[in-house]
Amino acid sequence: MSKIMTVDVLSSIKGAQPSEAVNKLFDVIKNAQSTNNTSFNNNHNNGVSLDDLRDDVVFESSALEKQIIIKNFPKEKNGYLVVSKIIEE
Amino acid sequence: MDSQIKQIHQQLMNKDISCVKLVQERLDLLKANTNNTVNSLLDTIALQLAAKVDTKIANGETIGILEGIPFGIKDVYMLQGTYTTASSNLLKYYKSAYTATAIQKLLDVGAIPIVKENCDSFGHGSSSENTIFGAVKNAINPDLVGGGSSGGSAVNVAKDYTVFSIGGDTGGSVRQPAGYNHVYGLKPTYGRISRYGLMAYASSTDCVGPIAKSVEDIRLVLNVMSGKDVKDQTTYASAEISESSISNSRDIKTIGYFKNFIESEAIDPDIKADFLASIEKIKAKGIKVKELDFFKSDILVSTYYTLAMAETASNLSRLDGSNYGNRIEDKNLKESYAITRSENFSEETKRRIVGGNQVLSQGFSDEIYLKGLALRDSISENFKKDFEEVDIILSPVTPATPPKIGESLKDPLAMYLSDAYTVGFSLGQLPTLTIPQGTETGLQITAAKNNDELVLKFANFLKDTI
Repeated sequence: MSKIMTVDVLSSIKGAQPSEAVNKLFDVIKNAQSTNNTSFNNNHNNGVSLDDLRDDVVFESSALEKQIIIKNFPKEKNGYLVVSKIIEE
Repeated sequence: MDSQIKQIHQQLMNKDISCVKLVQERLDLLKANTNNTVNSLLDTIALQLAAKVDTKIANGETIGILEGIPFGIKDVYMLQGTYTTASSNLLKYYKSAYTATAIQKLLDVGAIPIVKENCDSFGHGSSSENTIFGAVKNAINPDLVGGGSSGGSAVNVAKDYTVFSIGGDTGGSVRQPAGYNHVYGLKPTYGRISRYGLMAYASSTDCVGPIAKSVEDIRLVLNVMSGKDVKDQTTYASAEISESSISNSRDIKTIGYFKNFIESEAIDPDIKADFLASIEKIKAKGIKVKELDFFKSDILVSTYYTLAMAETASNLSRLDGSNYGNRIEDKNLKESYAITRSENFSEETKRRIVGGNQVLSQGFSDEIYLKGLALRDSISENFKKDFEEVDIILSPVTPATPPKIGESLKDPLAMYLSDAYTVGFSLGQLPTLTIPQGTETGLQITAAKNNDELVLKFANFLKDTI
């Protein structure tokens, strides 16, 4: 995968360009010093502990929930979701 | 203790007012309001629920403290069968298939949802101008912004259109509009309230937060919504906070404030003077006050936005119009995704998605995203050390007073920097409450993680002190 993807493709937004205001924020980060400079190997302790993971439970959706999900389909045929032609590249 | 909820509860029990009349009055106020706080009214469901409460009272049954109390919901929470638009074109006609845990808990105790409230689209903004429903106007001066992103919620509470409202706070979105509209707004400790059913902006700092007119009402609503939820693995079990436990603050001996926040050139001179005057009043009560060192404001803001944009780029990638939302068809699936997103996202949302994809892409992630994560760890470490020395950190909510409507949209960088005092506490996942006292835009009270009780306790103390 050597193909370079531009931000508009990555973001799926036509004509998207990096913004000047946001780039200014990023410049601050590039030039900032974190207090522990070896911090690339440190603890990003925001995840859930492995001991605390719940069981893999399947929740059955209610009939009403299923009905609303179908109502939200942008395009529907016989109760199925219709999508555009899928491309292969 | 001063409480709008308790007062209305008593009126219902004494049959001074019927619940249907109470709800109808609030719906009428919301319908007639010119502050653009309403995305949709929940009149049918609200009046049905109110009639049930009246029947209970007529039958001599006791009702719970929140039973029959009308409340508002920021339009980013799922409530089964109602429009949930995130104030966006993409989800303009989207209906929730299920109900958020926090909202379900309020329904379970009988509180009555009456309105889905205007906000910045997907929480992307600090003024509630980034919305398809018209800019939210400030409750005190309608020429000014309502604040954001939970602007509609704060204005509704301030105007007494709702008794309390449920906002969402990722980087200050409950605390800042609370400050701009002179009401209370709490960002609890991250994980205290389940995020299940809250449309994700930045998952690592998203918090469900109540907005109300008294500390006691914040406590009542917080207690109901808190708790571990199997559907949000970042939640934790917490003890209920009792009224008596927050009625005296004898155990608060030392507080601190960030020197650089107050010495900053960006702070409004009146906010600075009022903040320092509040500090003097606290000292006069025998509480020790320490000046603390903290990261520069631009580093806090940049760290927050780097991580929040990365997370929102990922979270919003699901919004492509294939399963739901306002799909625009094009020649194939990929083109349909792109045109749907280009046409339906606001400029601010697109700016954040693009920024997020920039920092997550090869060549940028090390020097920006990973560094942002490292800075966040340093910020958390800094807080940990601070709370070994002080019980509470006090801070202004914003460096300046609310801008005029139209000003923030012209200068996104200035809008990002206006979040300087709120984002740090979000990155630290700390409990922080805005109180409508101390400065024109209020004060923030922050305690160590999981110590939401201490925050409410100190708020009660300040009520009589400053």
